[in-house]
Amino acid sequence: MILKRSASYSLLFLASFLSLFPLFWTISTSIKDRVDTYSLPPKFFSFTPTLKNYTSLFSLEKFWQIYSNSIIITLGSTLICLVVGSLAAYALARKPKFRGRTPLEGLMIAIRALPAIVLLLPIYKLSSYLGLYDSKIGLILIFAGFNIPFAIWLLMSFFEQIPVEIEESARVDGASTFKMFTRIILPLAAPGLVATGIFVSLLSWNEFLIPVIMAGENSKTLPVLVASFISNRTLDWGPMAAAATVALIPIVLLTVVIQRWLVAGLSSGAVKE
Amino acid sequence: MLRRKNLRPVAQLTIPTWIFLALVVLIPFFYGVYLSFLDINLASFLPPSFVGFDNYKAVLAASETWSTLRITLIITFIGLLTQIPIGILLALVLHENLRGTKVFRSILITPMLLTPVAVGLTYRFMFDTDLGVINWALESLGIERVNWLGSQTSALFAITIVDSWQSIPFVMLLVLAALTAISPSLYEAARVDGASANQIFRRITLPLITPTLLVITMIKIMDFLKLFDTLFILTRGGPGNATTTLGLWTYKTGFVFLEFSRAAALGVIITIITLPVYFLWRRASRGVR
Repeated sequence: MILKRSASYSLLFLASFLSLFPLFWTISTSIKDRVDTYSLPPKFFSFTPTLKNYTSLFSLEKFWQIYSNSIIITLGSTLICLVVGSLAAYALARKPKFRGRTPLEGLMIAIRALPAIVLLLPIYKLSSYLGLYDSKIGLILIFAGFNIPFAIWLLMSFFEQIPVEIEESARVDGASTFKMFTRIILPLAAPGLVATGIFVSLLSWNEFLIPVIMAGENSKTLPVLVASFISNRTLDWGPMAAAATVALIPIVLLTVVIQRWLVAGLSSGAVKE
Repeated sequence: MLRRKNLRPVAQLTIPTWIFLALVVLIPFFYGVYLSFLDINLASFLPPSFVGFDNYKAVLAASETWSTLRITLIITFIGLLTQIPIGILLALVLHENLRGTKVFRSILITPMLLTPVAVGLTYRFMFDTDLGVINWALESLGIERVNWLGSQTSALFAITIVDSWQSIPFVMLLVLAALTAISPSLYEAARVDGASANQIFRRITLPLITPTLLVITMIKIMDFLKLFDTLFILTRGGPGNATTTLGLWTYKTGFVFLEFSRAAALGVIITIITLPVYFLWRRASRGVR
C-alpha cells in the first residue's frame, strides 16, 4: 500500500468526478434552454429542465433515418463479426499450427496498428468502382472487416476455456465437426458471444472516420450527424448536446447493465495470448 | 487416426475471415501503393498517368509533412507522460481492493466507452473561452482565462487532456491486469525483510509491470498516429495546421485538397513509420504473462 487509505479514497473520488463530469455536463446542457446554457456562473442544478433541444433535434429532416442507419449498420456488422469471427477464432484456438496462420494474424494486427485513413483512401477509390460508396451494405461490410480481428481475439480467449475433452467425447459419439461446433461449442461459449457482440457493436456505434469518408446522404450515421453540428457557423450548444446525449445514452445503459462483460474486450488484442 | 484428424477444426474455417481481411487490408494496401505512383487528383477528370516517385519526392519536400510529424511526436510525448503515470497510480489504488473498488472501476472505465465525437463536442463546449465551464473554474480559482483552442500550445494541451481523459482507463486496465498477475508472496517476503512501501514499488512492482508498460507505450504511439475523431471535432487541426497530426494531414491532403495520390504516398510513409513500433510491440508483448 503506497498511499494512506484516506488518500486513496480522495484520489478515487476525484478521478470519478473527473470521469463523470463531462457526461453530466452534456446531459444537463441538453435539457437547458438557451438562457441557462449561456449563463455565467454555470448552472449546475438550478434550472428548469426543458425538452426543447430534443424536439428540435428530432424534427431535423433526416434524424430518424440517420438514427436507424446507425442501428442497422451496427447490428449488421456485429452479426457478421460474430459468425465469421467465431469460425476463425475456433480454428485459431484449437489448432496451434496451420498453413496461413501467421499471415492471417499479421493482417489482423495490421488493422490494430495502422491508422485507418491509410486503408480508407484506397477503399474509397475502390468502392466508387464497385458502387459501394454511400451504401449501407458497403458500410456494414467495411465496419465488419475492421472489427473482425477484435471479435476473433475476444472469442479465442473464450473458446480456449472450453476443455477439449468435451469435444473428444462428442466425437466418440459420432458428431460431425459442424454439429459439434453449433451444438456444443457455441452454446458453451454463449457468454463470450454476448460479450464479443456488445464490444464489437460499441466499436461500430462509435465509429466516425469510416462513415465520414464512405457515407453520403443515404447512409450517414449518428457520429457524422453529431460532428456536422460543429461545422455550422452558429454554434448552438443545446441541440448539439442533445445529439451527443442521444449517441451516448445507449452506451451508458449498456455499461451499467453489462459492466463485467466489457472489461475483457477493452484490452483485447493488446497482449498476445 | 485419419478420421480423427479430419474431424479437427480446420484451417478452412478461417476462409471467411481471409475474404474480409483481403477486402479491407490486403487489396486496399497494395492498391494504395499503386495509387501513390499515379497522379490522381479528385478534382480533375484527366486520366491518371504514372509518375514514378514524384509523389514521394513532393511529400518529403513539403514542410507540412515534417511539421505535422513533429506535432504528432509532441502530442505522443506529452500524452505518454500524462497517461502512463496517472494510469499506474489509478491501477495501484484500485489494486488495493478497498471497499467499493468495483464501483469505482466501473466509473473510471466509462470515458473509454463513450463516442469520441460526442466527447469532443462536449469538451469543445467546456473549453469555450467565454462560456466554458473550465475557464469559469480556473477563474474562480484566481487563474486567468485561457483561449484553449485558439493558440497552438494551449490547443495541444487541450487535445492531450481530452485524449488522456479517454485513454487513461485503457492504461489503467492493462496495468491492473499486470498487478493482479504478481504473486502476493513476493510482497509478503519483501515486507518480512522490512522493505518500505516505496522500496516495494520500485524494486518489485515496477520491474514486474515493465513489460506491460512497454506494450502500452507501443500501442499508444500507434494510437497517436491514428488520433482523428476528437482532434477533428476540437480543432480540425487548427489554428492553421498548428494541431494537425500526420494522420489528419493525410486525410486533409486526400479529402480536403483532393490530392489523392499524394495522400496515398503519405499513407505508405505512415505504414513505414509504424513498422518498427509494430515489431517492438510484438516483441514486448511476448514478455507479458
